[in-house]
Amino acid sequence: MVLPFLFRLFLAAIICVTQIVVCNQMHLFGYATPMIATLFFCYLPQNANRIGNMIWAFLIGMVIDIFGGTPGENAASLTLAALIQWSLLRAMLPKDGLEDDSCHNLTSGRHFFYIVILATVHHVGFFALESFSMFHITDTAIALGSSLALSITLILALESLRKSGKQS
Amino acid sequence: MQNLLELIHKRLHWAVFLLLEIVSLVLLLRANSYQGSVWTTQANAVTGQVLTWESQLLRYMDLGQENSELVQQNLTLQHNVEVLRHELGKLQHDSTRTELAIRESLHGLTTIPAQVISNSVRQRDNLLVIDRGSADGVQPEMGVVSGTGVVGIVAQVSDHYATVLPVLNSKSNISVRLHDTEYFGSMQWRGGNPLRAVVTDIPRHARIKVGTQVETSGFSSIFPAGIFVGKVRSIRNSQDGLAYELDLQLSTDFACLRSVNVIAQRMEYESIDTLTHVRTE
Repeated sequence: MVLPFLFRLFLAAIICVTQIVVCNQMHLFGYATPMIATLFFCYLPQNANRIGNMIWAFLIGMVIDIFGGTPGENAASLTLAALIQWSLLRAMLPKDGLEDDSCHNLTSGRHFFYIVILATVHHVGFFALESFSMFHITDTAIALGSSLALSITLILALESLRKSGKQS
Repeated sequence: MQNLLELIHKRLHWAVFLLLEIVSLVLLLRANSYQGSVWTTQANAVTGQVLTWESQLLRYMDLGQENSELVQQNLTLQHNVEVLRHELGKLQHDSTRTELAIRESLHGLTTIPAQVISNSVRQRDNLLVIDRGSADGVQPEMGVVSGTGVVGIVAQVSDHYATVLPVLNSKSNISVRLHDTEYFGSMQWRGGNPLRAVVTDIPRHARIKVGTQVETSGFSSIFPAGIFVGKVRSIRNSQDGLAYELDLQLSTDFACLRSVNVIAQRMEYESIDTLTHVRTE
């Protein structure tokens, strides 16, 4: 019980620091900023508490918001992503799997879609709250698309690193 | 109860989700000036729209009362318009030459303005009633004139009304003269056309032309000299052949007579205008 908690705390800290120190400083072409907080959902098993997942997501989002100058935006969008993560993971994992299976037990294709869906939900929520109106819909759409593509690429790259490190 | 608790336990994640989202949104709107201002603007727009609908609904429900008030207001305004139009007509009235002449004739005399409230032109002995009486200074045998010429003589008065014996009465007899001459005669009305009268006793040696103006002679304590009466239409001999009779086109149209003036000041001449056997019943 304590070990998973400490692992999640460590993971959350790594994600927050990476997001605040590295990712938030990137603005490719003035639009694309990667957001890797959804990487946290890749390490949540299907038997994890649903409410606990939402609280973890909320707290990670809150920390990123406080240090990133975007109060409430990441917290709300990550909480929304955490709401669907639980059902999404259970829908994608095989029925005869273990209780502590995570998205790493998915096939490559399902793993990809799992990340894409969660990242999309998070990014749409974030940019909806960021723009908060339809005044600059084109700019918002460009920022959303480019950031989403960059975020998914980065998360998949980190997941590949994890996988290759584990195999070696 | 057990089922209820199970249901709450099953749906508890929704309550937590809503709670966390609300906290996030409150933070978002409080801590971000842009989102806060957009939210305030949109909230104001929505609130304004809702209040507009409410106002429209309430106004629709009050339409009956509002309609009654508008009808009442409309009636009042129509009345005011009529009063103002009447006053404006008075102010914009362009004085005719006759009016100016009559005004000049009445200069220095005290007159009492009055309105005709009853009139007739189709009787043999017509009478008219004005809305001024003894309380306003009107007395019997005072002259009455209008802007177009002589009207008649006051016959009887009550406190607030007076009966006037107009020219269009067989008992009316007013001393007149030809304009700019000393030839005078007596004007009478013999019934029929209310725009025609007859001047008798004009001496045969008088030089008269059709169209000559006829005015009051001034041999009267009732009318001053020079008040326009009418124009000569035709000239004929009297029945005894000793004088002329002039057929006169009266200047005053009694059929549309409204405003008149009573000459309150008596002339210094002895009256030869007669007012006899007036019946006012």
